[in-house]
Amino acid sequence: MSKPTANWEKLGDKFYRKVQLYTAIFDQDLELENYNVVGAPYSGAVAIYRDENKITAYRGAQASKASIDIYSCAGQLIRRIDWSKGTIKGLGWSDDEKLLVVTEDGTVRCYYDLQGDFVPFSLGHGAEDHLVQSCKFYGSGFVALLGNNNLISVTSYTEPRPKLLAIPPPDPIISWSIIPPAYSLSRSVEVILAIDQTLWVVDATEAEDRNFDAGPFRHISVSPRGEFLAFYTDDGKVWVVSGDWSDKLSEYDSKVKTVPKDMQWCGSNAVALAWEDEVHLIGPKSAATKFYYDAWIHLIPDVDGLRLLTNDVCEYLQKVPDESVDVFRLGSDTPAANLLEAASLLEQKSPKADDLIQLIRPSLAEAVETCIKAAAHEFSIHWQKSLLRAASFGKSVLDLYSSDDFVETCDTLRVLNAVRFYEIGLPISYEQYRRLTPEKLIERLTNRNEYLLALRIASYLQLPSANIHGHWAQQKVRVSTDTEEQICALIVKKLHGKPGISFEEIARAAYDEGRVRLATELLNYEPRAGKQVPLLLSMKEDNIALDKAIESGDTDLIFHVLHHLHRKLPLASFFRVINTRPVATALVESSALDSDRTLLKDLYYQDDRRLDGSNLLLTEAIAQPSLPPATDKLKLAAKYLADTRDPTAQFHRTALEDAAKLLRMQEQFDRDLLSSSPPTSASNLAASTSLVGLSLHDTIFHLLRQSHIKRAAKLHSEFKVPEKAFAWIKLRALVSARHWTELEDIAAKQKKSPIGFVPYFNEILAAGNQRVAALFVPKCAGGYAGVAVEERVEMWLKCGLVVQAGEEAFKAKDRALLEGVRAKAEGGAAVEVERLLGMLGSGKK
Amino acid sequence: MAPITPFNASEITEKARRDLLQLLEGIRGKKNLVLQKSLAGPLNLLVKFSTLQEYGVDKPFFLENDNVDSSQRNIVFLVRGEKATTVSAVADQIKRVRRDSQIEHEFSIFWVPRRTTVSDQILEEAGVLGDASVSEWPLFFVPLADDVMSLELGDAVEDLYLRKDPTSVYIAAKALMLQQQKYGLFPRIIGKGDHGKRLADLLIRMRTEVAAGEVPNSAGPSFLGLTPSSMIDSLIIIDRDVDFPTALLTQLTYEGLIDEVFDITANQTEVDSSIVGAAAQPGQTGSASTSMKRKIMIDRKDELYSTLGDVNFAIVGNMLNKAARRLQSSTERNQLAAKTTSELRDFVAKLPGYQAEQASLKLHTALAEEIIKFTHSDIFTRSLEVQQNIMCGSDPTTQHDTITELINRDVPLPTILRLLCLESTTNAGMRPKDLEAFKRAIIQAYGPQHLLTLSSLEKMNLLHPRGGSGLGVTTPAAKPGSVTNYTPLRKSLRLWDDDVNEVAPNDISYAFSGYAPLSVRLIQSIIQKQTLANVVKPPSDPRAAAQANPLAQGLRIFDDATKYVRGATFDMRQSGEEKAVKARSMLNGSHNDASKTIVVFFVGGVTRAEIAALRFVGDKLKQVGGEGRGSRVVVCATNVITGGGLVGSAVEEGRFRM
Repeated sequence: MSKPTANWEKLGDKFYRKVQLYTAIFDQDLELENYNVVGAPYSGAVAIYRDENKITAYRGAQASKASIDIYSCAGQLIRRIDWSKGTIKGLGWSDDEKLLVVTEDGTVRCYYDLQGDFVPFSLGHGAEDHLVQSCKFYGSGFVALLGNNNLISVTSYTEPRPKLLAIPPPDPIISWSIIPPAYSLSRSVEVILAIDQTLWVVDATEAEDRNFDAGPFRHISVSPRGEFLAFYTDDGKVWVVSGDWSDKLSEYDSKVKTVPKDMQWCGSNAVALAWEDEVHLIGPKSAATKFYYDAWIHLIPDVDGLRLLTNDVCEYLQKVPDESVDVFRLGSDTPAANLLEAASLLEQKSPKADDLIQLIRPSLAEAVETCIKAAAHEFSIHWQKSLLRAASFGKSVLDLYSSDDFVETCDTLRVLNAVRFYEIGLPISYEQYRRLTPEKLIERLTNRNEYLLALRIASYLQLPSANIHGHWAQQKVRVSTDTEEQICALIVKKLHGKPGISFEEIARAAYDEGRVRLATELLNYEPRAGKQVPLLLSMKEDNIALDKAIESGDTDLIFHVLHHLHRKLPLASFFRVINTRPVATALVESSALDSDRTLLKDLYYQDDRRLDGSNLLLTEAIAQPSLPPATDKLKLAAKYLADTRDPTAQFHRTALEDAAKLLRMQEQFDRDLLSSSPPTSASNLAASTSLVGLSLHDTIFHLLRQSHIKRAAKLHSEFKVPEKAFAWIKLRALVSARHWTELEDIAAKQKKSPIGFVPYFNEILAAGNQRVAALFVPKCAGGYAGVAVEERVEMWLKCGLVVQAGEEAFKAKDRALLEGVRAKAEGGAAVEVERLLGMLGSGKK
Repeated sequence: MAPITPFNASEITEKARRDLLQLLEGIRGKKNLVLQKSLAGPLNLLVKFSTLQEYGVDKPFFLENDNVDSSQRNIVFLVRGEKATTVSAVADQIKRVRRDSQIEHEFSIFWVPRRTTVSDQILEEAGVLGDASVSEWPLFFVPLADDVMSLELGDAVEDLYLRKDPTSVYIAAKALMLQQQKYGLFPRIIGKGDHGKRLADLLIRMRTEVAAGEVPNSAGPSFLGLTPSSMIDSLIIIDRDVDFPTALLTQLTYEGLIDEVFDITANQTEVDSSIVGAAAQPGQTGSASTSMKRKIMIDRKDELYSTLGDVNFAIVGNMLNKAARRLQSSTERNQLAAKTTSELRDFVAKLPGYQAEQASLKLHTALAEEIIKFTHSDIFTRSLEVQQNIMCGSDPTTQHDTITELINRDVPLPTILRLLCLESTTNAGMRPKDLEAFKRAIIQAYGPQHLLTLSSLEKMNLLHPRGGSGLGVTTPAAKPGSVTNYTPLRKSLRLWDDDVNEVAPNDISYAFSGYAPLSVRLIQSIIQKQTLANVVKPPSDPRAAAQANPLAQGLRIFDDATKYVRGATFDMRQSGEEKAVKARSMLNGSHNDASKTIVVFFVGGVTRAEIAALRFVGDKLKQVGGEGRGSRVVVCATNVITGGGLVGSAVEEGRFRM
């Protein structure tokens, strides 16, 4: 086994290592120099497509067919996407391994799995006219540069909303780069443009000149976490500036005349410059090291390092993690290095092992930890094992040690080694794995159709496996050549009852594949009614969709289906569909009431719901701004009920006719009153408020208030207002208009009142006129609605007429009552009451 | 670890608050907030306006006013997304601003409580979907007090009973499901009423759906989330249409009357400042209103109010007196003289408390005086008399004269409708002849537009002719279970209590001065069987042990009673794997029954008097160590209603115009 430090390079005081991941990547015929190579983050897939600017040797029609080829890092072809959709101006990956392809005309295709299915969207903002020049991608979005220097930013692929950034100056852009929103100071994407000698920074709101004069800058590169920016100047220098532009950290002179073809960060500590077959790695303080290759080299940056890809080899260049340095550095005497040594001595059965252990005893825990971490970062299985063995040895010596880290690292390494295997080709580093999360790793495996491995890892790490099953089933229905029954039986056998399985998605996949019967079959296994609806709709199973929506209880879903049906079906059949479903009918009614009255009218007509129809017309009548159309509508409403026998409907019809009649009369009165009374009089002010729209009672009230007694009487007889009601209205009207004389008249002349006289007393008293109120007290005695003596006494008292109260009590010969009155009496009244009391006393005796 | 309390008000508040602030934080820079009016109340309860300002809200606008200006680049809409009309209103305003404004705006829409496909459709058709970033604010329960959660769906009554639109049931199910996912399933769902049944069914269905859905995390909660809770005793669902009369009656508790007189929305009421004086502390309500109205928080956190809110109004005056005297004696100056310096220090430390109490005392005295004015009016006493007579079971026709007189006196229509609906709902409809006479009277007195009102009331089953003999035409007799029959219930549940004690209540009947609300009686028949049994049928021998009453066996009272109550009856149990159940009770420690929570959900709204009655029941359960069941009663509802609001949703507002 070669030494672990064999592939280390010293750069300043730091070590870098170049791990050979895979060999024999691409076919030797593939002229990699003529291709653009783009790798997905976290050691994901690599997409290559031919660079149209380069001349290629003609190899017959077959080879010249354009395509985007997706390879694993080990050079295994995952998928070939035939391309005939225009010039590719940008191609990139998202964090979740979606492939984005941007064509010149501003169309973006998002290939959401590695299977070649895509969702397109358009950039807009003039991309069609000015054409996309280039694009820069980050984890969850990208920025496109148009021909007129406009920048369009897309921040999400699930709901893409291309937004125009601030407009930079129109001068030619030499190079550019972006700072992802997660790492920029403003928390939104920032673009760095090299224009002329200087640099511009553009965000959503402003474009700012940074006033540099060292340009033109040929390359701009932003470190993975945005903490440093690197620029390559025309005269061969690399500048490194801190992310907030405050410090210039280093300057390196490459002393090379040709501009490198690429400049990328290797982790956050070094910048790599790539020429055709040469790579310079520049660390802090301008330390540099050079690598030479014998083939064209491509740089694929990742969060913690850099992948180098040639036809022959895929290498990973990264800063050696500190733990590994501790353990492996030549002549290292750290506890961890000693522990490793001790472990190997132990294997050789040498007694020195114990000596060594005793030597590092005080820092043994730390040594164990370092070994575990170093193992995690190690790519070579041999050294992983040695380090873990050393850690295990060390921890066996320790008295108290939590093995959680050890166990976890063992688990993780098992997973990492499995996916790094060349047939899978995911050379993911420990750091990347931690950032990507195991769930996402499983997702990547699933997308590569590596179901078995994905399932094994999921169960090994105790993660949900529903998505893997779902994906498998979808793939099955797409590609399987078995009969539909067999497929369905197989899927159901494997997946039924497993939590988290979306049969709807599987069914949709089947439907998209044209296997409608299979889709219907599968959909029956979906427990979530709501989920079934959209698919059922696209399968044109409208009635079932509606039933399922109703079953789900989600009104939004029901509305959705109804909306769909309403647009699709002729009205009659639409009504037929909803007729048998009360909830649907109710919802249609409810929404139509707000938005579509015609529909509602049709519905009522169709269902022969006369009363509802008539009510609707009444609502419309009320909504009319003027009288003539309102009365027309009223007539219509009444006519609508013309030949029904239902008592309620008949009642409504009469009421409607009355309403029309009332409106007519009100209008008539309005006109009469306006013309009859001179406009100057005070009463006219009140009259000028129209009677139209008032209720019958209110109309009478207003008429009486203004002493239009005849007109009021006309209404009274015309509408058969009950006597009691009329009496009440009259009373209220007279009191409110303070027509005391009229009231006195009533007190004097009227013998009977349909409502008795107590209300008169109460109302007048409430209006504050004790004098007139008192007139009614005697009338409250006996007869209809008469009140007892006690109350009459009380009434007198309320009017302030103590003497009368006394007399009332006296008349009733109620001594107790009279004494009560006496208690309240003062002055002359008291004397009078006393007298009465005396009389009563003597009378009794 | 502190014990976990399910349906924890502060937790729910905090979550809703955080969610909203996070959404606001997601929009950079200052923003104008366009708010649906019905959300203003809940929002005010959850977040102070000053906090919103800290999060960049510049000016608030009401959606209904359609007046949002272009002063800020960011415009945020906070609206409910279930109704097509509100969605269209949002679309129209976005279009208007986009058309009129010089600058390019960033629109964001926060749908409450969820983003709907319908809203997407409407926005898309209006061509604004692409311009607005859409997110959702999952606001479900709004805690009004520690034990009262409301969904604050103002339209729930109209939607459910008039338009038959079950949206609010679905939202309720969602809200309850969220709680279930957090605290475990309700071990038992029991209740009455068709909408209640639908809600229970939805909960059962959602359980399977959630189980089938994404497994969000392999971590504990999701696994345990779908096993029965060890902290919740049961969920009791009552549909409002099981018991309309209770809602129609005038509430006689202090809080109930405040609601009746001044109308409380989201714990806030507006009172004319001539009554309570101008706002003392401007910061109190957040927005200083320029009008003569003053906003007042009706808040349980106020110590004085927390003792007043649930008592019968008859004794509020006394209590206020006592409080005043106590306060006076403790702040009296001459007492200070005798004090040592340390006593003095204590006293000074308490001063702010006294001042707050003083202010609160002043406020409530003023409110109580205003309410007394109201309750002493002739109309109030007349209508109360009718209500009491109907509820105690006297022949309703004897009340007709009074009602007619009230109509003739031009009493506000809702008052009349409440009385008529009360008669109709307690007596399974009105005699067709009487009903027609009243209808005619109402149309003559209040205008022909109320033909619509009357139709609506009939649709809501609030006011309808009695089945059987119609005018010549025989309508089919009422089916059993389609109406609530109060006659047998009055006896079997003792809905009327003649010797009610308002001062030291011994039964829930105190809340209505005689009538014991049916809804609460039904709940009692489930959770407080023993007490109820003794109320209904006092044991012949007072010394006999309380447990001996045979009526308290099983669900006998409930079963007997529900026969006469309209709507479906349901009683479901949710069980889980035995292992999981054990694991859960291990995790939460053993809970004895007494500390479990009982959740009561009112579909279609709850009145404040009912809440008071339920609190009374809850307190009783606590006192005697309960009856072996939970003792914490949490009241949830789609909204809080009053009788006025109930009939008000049917009242037609429009009228003929010139």
